[in-house]
Amino acid sequence: MQTERIKLTYDALVIGGGIAGGEAALNLANNGYKVLVVEKSLSVGGKMIMLSKVFPTLDCSACITTPKVSEISRHPNIKIFTESDIESIEKLGEHNFVAKVTRRPRYVVEEDCTACQLCEEACPVIVKDQFQYGLVGRKAAYIPFSICSPKVAAIDIDNCTLCGACEKVCPPGCIDFTMKAKQYEISVKTAIVATGFELFDPSTVKRYSYQEGKNVITSMQMERLLAPTRPFHTILRPSDGKVPDKIAYVLCAGSRDDSMGNPICSQICCMYSIKQAQLLMGALPMADITIYYIDIRAFGKGYDEFYEQAVSMGVRLVKGKIGKISEKENGNLVLRYEDVSTGKLKEAEHDFVVLSVGAKPNEEPQSLFKTQKLELDNLKYVKQSDPLLSPAKTTIEGVFVAGAATGPKDIPDSILSAGCASTEAISYLNS
Amino acid sequence: MATEKSMTVKILRETHKVSDEVKDNLKQFNKDKKSILEALKEGEQTIAQLSKATGMDRAKTLYITMSLAKFGFVAVGKVDDMDEYFTYKLKTK
Repeated sequence: MQTERIKLTYDALVIGGGIAGGEAALNLANNGYKVLVVEKSLSVGGKMIMLSKVFPTLDCSACITTPKVSEISRHPNIKIFTESDIESIEKLGEHNFVAKVTRRPRYVVEEDCTACQLCEEACPVIVKDQFQYGLVGRKAAYIPFSICSPKVAAIDIDNCTLCGACEKVCPPGCIDFTMKAKQYEISVKTAIVATGFELFDPSTVKRYSYQEGKNVITSMQMERLLAPTRPFHTILRPSDGKVPDKIAYVLCAGSRDDSMGNPICSQICCMYSIKQAQLLMGALPMADITIYYIDIRAFGKGYDEFYEQAVSMGVRLVKGKIGKISEKENGNLVLRYEDVSTGKLKEAEHDFVVLSVGAKPNEEPQSLFKTQKLELDNLKYVKQSDPLLSPAKTTIEGVFVAGAATGPKDIPDSILSAGCASTEAISYLNS
Repeated sequence: MATEKSMTVKILRETHKVSDEVKDNLKQFNKDKKSILEALKEGEQTIAQLSKATGMDRAKTLYITMSLAKFGFVAVGKVDDMDEYFTYKLKTK
C-alpha cells in the first residue's frame, strides 16, 4: 500500500492526450519545457485516431495521427500518463500549481511489453470492444487497438477470470497482477485543459430507435466500419451481416435541438457525414446514400467543394427533419420525416441508418480545480475569459484551454486552438 | 524469474473475487463459440444459416462470428450473386 504520493515536477500539465492536447504538449516540449500529459484512457490520440479518413482531403486519419502521436510519445521533454485520473488541481500562487494524479494499474509492465499479443491469444474471455464501439469482441488481456500509443497490452481486471493464461505465455514476463494504483503529487507552473468533447448518446432519444433497431448505428460506429482496422471484413448490417444498399444519414442527431439539451450546431456532423457518404460510395458502389439534413454547413476551406463533390458522385440530399425511425421485421428501417421543400410528412425505407451524432460538452474539467473556479459557459463548455482576443485564456490565470473543450471544432481548428493555448502558456511561463 | 512471475495471479486471487457475471459470460461465450465452430464443420454458411443452426439470433451470430474471425478461428468465404450475404468458413491453420 502506497502511503505517500510520488512527487514530480514539470513545467506544464496538459490534461487530455487527444490531438489538441498532444499538439499543445509538442509545442511546449519543442520550446524546451518539460510537459506531463495526463490521459484517462489506455492510449493517446483521442477521437481522431479512431477515424477512417479526414475531410475535405480524404487523407487517412491514422496515417496523419500515428506519426504525430509517435512524436509526442518519444519526445524527451514529454512524459505521458495513460489510464490516469486527475483528482484535483490547486493553484497555490502564480506559476505554482499542484495536481494530484492517480495512475490506475494496467497489470502489464509498460517498459517490458513487446506487444506480441500472445496474452491476447491465450485469454479465453470475450467482451465488447469499446474501441470498436461494441461491434465486435475483444479479450480481457488485450492491445487496445492496432495503432494505440503506447502499444502495450492491458488487463481488463473487471472482466478477467484470473485464469493466469496470459501470464503463463508472456515471453518477457511483463504481466503483473500485483500492480496497484500509483498516486502522484505533481508540481507544475501552468496547465492546459484539452479534455475534448463527448459524443451525444442517441439512446436517450427513443424515437431514433438506437439499440432497439439493430441497424441504427452512430456515425462513430460507421467511422470504425470504414476504417482500415475495421471490426468486420467489410461494411455489414449488425442485425444479420447483410451488405447494405440503401443507407440513410440523419443529421443533427443531438444537435440544434433544445429538447435534447444541445441547442447549438456541432459544426462537424455535416462534413463527416458527407465524407462517410463518399467513402461508402467507394466501398459499396451500388449503394444509394441519402442524407437527411436541416441545413448543410460547409463553412471551411474546401468544404463546399467537398459537398459539391458528394452531390456529383450521386449522394442524395433531402432537406427534412426526421421525426421517427421504426424497425421492420426484416431489419429495414422506416424513416418518418418532414420534407421541408413541400411541407409534407413522408416516409422512406432504408436498410441501414447512421445517426450523425453531435458533440456535447465534457464538464469534467470544472470539478478538477479546487482553489479557484474554472468557469464553464452557458453551454457547459470551458469558458474563455476573452473569446475574441485571447481565446485560450480561461477564468484562472495560468490555465489555458485547447481544442474542443471550448466548443465543437473540426481537426484544423483544434490544432490551431492548441497552438494558441501553447503560445499563451509559453508567454505565461516567461512572464 | 518466470516461476516467480507466474505467481502474481495467485496473489490477486486471494483478494479479488471474480464475479458470477464474468464467469457466466465466459461459459456462454464458450458455448456460443463451440456451436458456431460445430456448425461451420458442415461447410461454409451465411450468418442467417449459422443463426438457424445454432438457435442464436442473427445479430449475436454476427457478433460472435466476427469476433471468432478477429481471433483467427473463422475466415470469410464468398459472397452471393446479389453481393448481399457472405459465407463464413473454418480457418485452416
